[in-house]
Amino acid sequence: MKKTVGFVTRHLFLAFLVVVWLIPILWLVVTSFSGYRGINTAHFFPETWSLDNYKALFLEPDSVVQYVVWFRNTLVIAIFTCIISTIFVLMVSYTMSCLRFKGRKGLMSFGIILNMFPGVLSMIAVYFVMKSIGLTNSHLGMIIVYSAGSGLGYLITKGFMDTISVSLREAARLEGASEAKIFLRIIIPLSKPMIVYTVINSFLVPWGDFVLAKLMLNSGIATDWTIAIGLFNMLGKSLINKYFSIFCAGGVIVSIPISILFVLMQKFYVEGVTGGSVKG
Amino acid sequence: MKKKVLAALLTTAMVATTLVGCGSSEAETPAAEETTEEAPAEEAAPADDAAAEEAPADDAAAADPVANLIAATTDTVTLTVWASEEDQDLTTTLIENFKAAYPDVTFEITLGSESESTAKDTILTDVEAAANVYAFADDQINELVTAGALQPVSASYTYDVAAANAVGAVEAATVDGTLYAYPMTADNGYFMFYDASVFTEDDVKSLESMLTAAEAAGKKVAMDISNGWYIYSFFQGAGYELTLNDDGSNTCTWNGEGATDVAQAIMDLCATGTLVDMNDEEMATAIAEGTVAACVNGTWRAETAQEAWGENYAATKLPTFNVAGKDCQMSSYSGYKLVGVNPYTDSKYIGWAMLLAEYLTNEESQAARFEARGLGPANTAAASSDAVQANPAIAALAEQAAYATPQRVGGNFWTPAETLGQILVDGNQDGTELQTMLDTTVEGITAPIE
Amino acid sequence: MNKLKSIGNYFKDFGTAIVKGDIWVKLSLFIMGAGYIARKQVINGLIMIALQAVFAVMCVFYAAPNLAKFGTLGTVQFEQVFDPLTLISTVNDYDNSFLILLNSIISLFIIVAFILVYIANVKTVYRLQRNKEEGLHINTFREDIKALFNEKFHITLLTLPCIGVVLMNIIPILVLVAIAFTNYDQQHMPPSALFTWVGFKNFKSLFTTSVTVTFGYSFGKVLVWTLEWAFLATFTTFIGGILMAQFINNKNTKWPKMWRTLFMVAIAVPQFVTLLLVRNFFADSGIVNTICANIGLTDFLKDVGLVSEHLTYIPFLTNPSWAKVMIVIINIWVGIPYQMLVATGVLMNIPTDQIESARIDGANRLQIFVKITMPYVLFITGPSLITDFVKNINNFNVIYLLTQDVYVTQDQLLANSHAKEIDLLVTWLFRLTNEYYNYKMASVIGILVFIICAAFTLVTFTQMIKGNREEDFQ
Repeated sequence: MKKTVGFVTRHLFLAFLVVVWLIPILWLVVTSFSGYRGINTAHFFPETWSLDNYKALFLEPDSVVQYVVWFRNTLVIAIFTCIISTIFVLMVSYTMSCLRFKGRKGLMSFGIILNMFPGVLSMIAVYFVMKSIGLTNSHLGMIIVYSAGSGLGYLITKGFMDTISVSLREAARLEGASEAKIFLRIIIPLSKPMIVYTVINSFLVPWGDFVLAKLMLNSGIATDWTIAIGLFNMLGKSLINKYFSIFCAGGVIVSIPISILFVLMQKFYVEGVTGGSVKG
Repeated sequence: MKKKVLAALLTTAMVATTLVGCGSSEAETPAAEETTEEAPAEEAAPADDAAAEEAPADDAAAADPVANLIAATTDTVTLTVWASEEDQDLTTTLIENFKAAYPDVTFEITLGSESESTAKDTILTDVEAAANVYAFADDQINELVTAGALQPVSASYTYDVAAANAVGAVEAATVDGTLYAYPMTADNGYFMFYDASVFTEDDVKSLESMLTAAEAAGKKVAMDISNGWYIYSFFQGAGYELTLNDDGSNTCTWNGEGATDVAQAIMDLCATGTLVDMNDEEMATAIAEGTVAACVNGTWRAETAQEAWGENYAATKLPTFNVAGKDCQMSSYSGYKLVGVNPYTDSKYIGWAMLLAEYLTNEESQAARFEARGLGPANTAAASSDAVQANPAIAALAEQAAYATPQRVGGNFWTPAETLGQILVDGNQDGTELQTMLDTTVEGITAPIE
Repeated sequence: MNKLKSIGNYFKDFGTAIVKGDIWVKLSLFIMGAGYIARKQVINGLIMIALQAVFAVMCVFYAAPNLAKFGTLGTVQFEQVFDPLTLISTVNDYDNSFLILLNSIISLFIIVAFILVYIANVKTVYRLQRNKEEGLHINTFREDIKALFNEKFHITLLTLPCIGVVLMNIIPILVLVAIAFTNYDQQHMPPSALFTWVGFKNFKSLFTTSVTVTFGYSFGKVLVWTLEWAFLATFTTFIGGILMAQFINNKNTKWPKMWRTLFMVAIAVPQFVTLLLVRNFFADSGIVNTICANIGLTDFLKDVGLVSEHLTYIPFLTNPSWAKVMIVIINIWVGIPYQMLVATGVLMNIPTDQIESARIDGANRLQIFVKITMPYVLFITGPSLITDFVKNINNFNVIYLLTQDVYVTQDQLLANSHAKEIDLLVTWLFRLTNEYYNYKMASVIGILVFIICAAFTLVTFTQMIKGNREEDFQ
């Protein structure tokens, strides 16, 4: 009897937490089906239901809503960003973890400290650096901005590589394998969880960043934007009352691919987040 | 018509030398009849079509700047234009008409969206990357001029900018005697919207009687008091001053003798609970839901109010409010939307940018803008049409105009004023001496620019 | 001490190379490839010569014109003359202070890099000479390339990431550090106006609070809240995450995977969407307030005195104390699912034997959690905890998205320097640049944030690197 009560309370408590966590998400979803375009402040559930918001997203692009184009832009930027970032992170981590050379520790500390600088502040300088090479208002520029500095985020992956047994590498070396071969053939296949972790994290950056993107893509032409700028723009003073529910619909759609990614990769991601430390 | 402008131009000055920040205003004398000559056209294009057709045939083309420009332009003219999101469709049409007006020139005009109210933020970050022609609200003109982001309107070609528009609009587009922009609309100020089923015409004369009527009906009166732009109406209305100095700092007398009474009055009004502090977005929702029956806002909310109140939708000037037993008429900022030309435009195309800016703001375009979106024209001829006169929001704005002042204020005004508003709305919870509070606000507002 | 010595050695080696080098080494001082060509490393030699040539061209056409103006940051103001008859404008050859600063820093960077290559070059050439004298093998070009994938593999791997970091991190940071010593603000905005050096003036004004300049006051207040926030945000989500992971992983909990996935939904929606949504959710006239008013919570809070009497709503995000609490709570909401994920990974690997033996010794569950689980988790996730702390100091998104355009400060002194009670240093400096174009003060604040974060990390991380656990596991 006591056991059943414990069982029920435990699960009721969890269910309560889930409700707390999902209420805003639920509001997002139901508002996205609202027939009223502004913010509904009197009722949790919309008074009239409709699919108009989704229709507006996909079928009726106007000067404010270019959802399909934004989605494609963001997807392209995200794919290239995550490829370059992952390669950079792996390269730096391997160097720092497995290779021994002069100045390694200095470089490591330097990298960590450099990562501390508030990016919000150096943004304007980044903008002018990109402008002087003519890459503002271009998606190539966005890819560079998002991925160029990614090497600094090597710490967790390095921690993981530290745990890969050194004897593996030594054995390979005795067989005459070059460092490059060891990196490509031994370390990379073993780092699968880390690769997934880095891929997901870097893939998500362009979907969530609006400050930097807004600065770099400043032509005012909606078809250049990424999803984040586009959705953020809908909540501007003059638009919010006509576009709030469309914003919600946009938010729902963005979450779908990301949720799928998360659910599929959950296992690897957990291993990745905890890095090499797990094995300690 | 073009020749007249030219003649005037030549008489006023031979060569206009304009340096950023110290330009001289030319072309202020041109014949005023030039605009009245044009019959109000339904389509925006015809007047200029005629002008363009006339141009190549003109033997004296050599003396006509626009014809010269057409002749000198051999490559594609690339320009970018920024207009607000709501204005995209109309601006696209106008740009097409503009292109059609100059059939001999190839244009590549890109239209981007940038809200007039935030144009400054994007432009000032990088002036060189900003659009060649852009629309903005007149409160930003000082900062834009300081940053050198506006090309002085040293001459006009297709219509006389200074003479065709309302005096207030021209004044708003002028800084230190130099005209820097083309007035586009004259409806960016604020006034009172109300639901005629709740308030009588007598009620709306004073804020106090409005609050009584609203309370009786169980409704609220909304105003964005915690916002420098609106709280100005109380202090200015009670006779305290706020002016802009040459260096971009402010002079402010809001802590002068008796000013505490104004602060007290605002606090008392808010303490009734019937006057509520809401920002624009919240107001829109509250109107739609019926909790708010009157609000201080601008033409951009007209649609919302009209939908919610239907036949009872009405608008008028701001009411009076009671300061220590005396009724003071609330003042306001008059607001205009302007079109500016970026001086960092390719020097070969800057002329085209100016012509385009003229086109976007000429009488026909302003009339078209009113028809499409109900925006009040700055152009006196367009504003005198019956349709415009019959619009309650614009009529209210005209009524309020007598008590409105153009917005000339430096950047240090906003945050301190906003905070003052918020403290008063909250009933001064800390119990700070009102005089001390106003002194601190004024110190912030008048802080030196360094 | 060691560092000084190694720097000394660095130059000593260079001197030795020059003094003891033969004619080819000495010639390498002028033509960088000479020494290689003499030792039959023709391709290396040609590469060096090409490098030198490119550098020379860069110096003349890029570095020199910019560095010449570096001292003044430009003197020629933008001037434009518009001819109303031809409708064409002429613009003078004006200086843009910002570009001069940026290009000068890039130039200096290239010059320093070149000098390092230059010194290394002479040393290498001298080593080649020695190798030849001693009859040692001299690498062919092919062998050199091969070395890049073996003993010099680190160079191959690090080149591209380093270029990226220099371009996107180091140069922008140097530019911003330099701006802290200039008068770059709204009155001096390039391209139309020039700015120039002002020394330490901006730092002084940060630490003075006068009647009109309240930066010092604001800085103190904002700094304290930033640290409070970083501490609260990091530890609440961390502990919450562990507790929740514990709870879900407990063997009495059915369907752990389902629960975990449900919580994950909350992080799958991009942060900016959820935060903007939550902001409207808790707005003064928002849905939560409507519900609270309907169920009488608002009146109850008024009676208790948590909401001031004259309000008809709960000021979730508009009153300083309410907003601070709400921001932390919303951050918990956003952060816990993520931390739970981390903690799940860690907890799965917890050494069960320790727990077993503790249980046999009669420890209860709380004791086990405090004595075994927590220390273990802290040990494992320590580094990421530090990173999280620093990330929270710079947590722009949560604060900005929740309070921008909504929160109005009631502290007049803060208002006079455009700060708010709920501002972090980063959001304050963002407002200073984005709305007031006060780049000089923003840079000063940025440098201080950087120093705080760097000091904090240096202390903790050097401990880690020194402790050198990195090879323990290998």
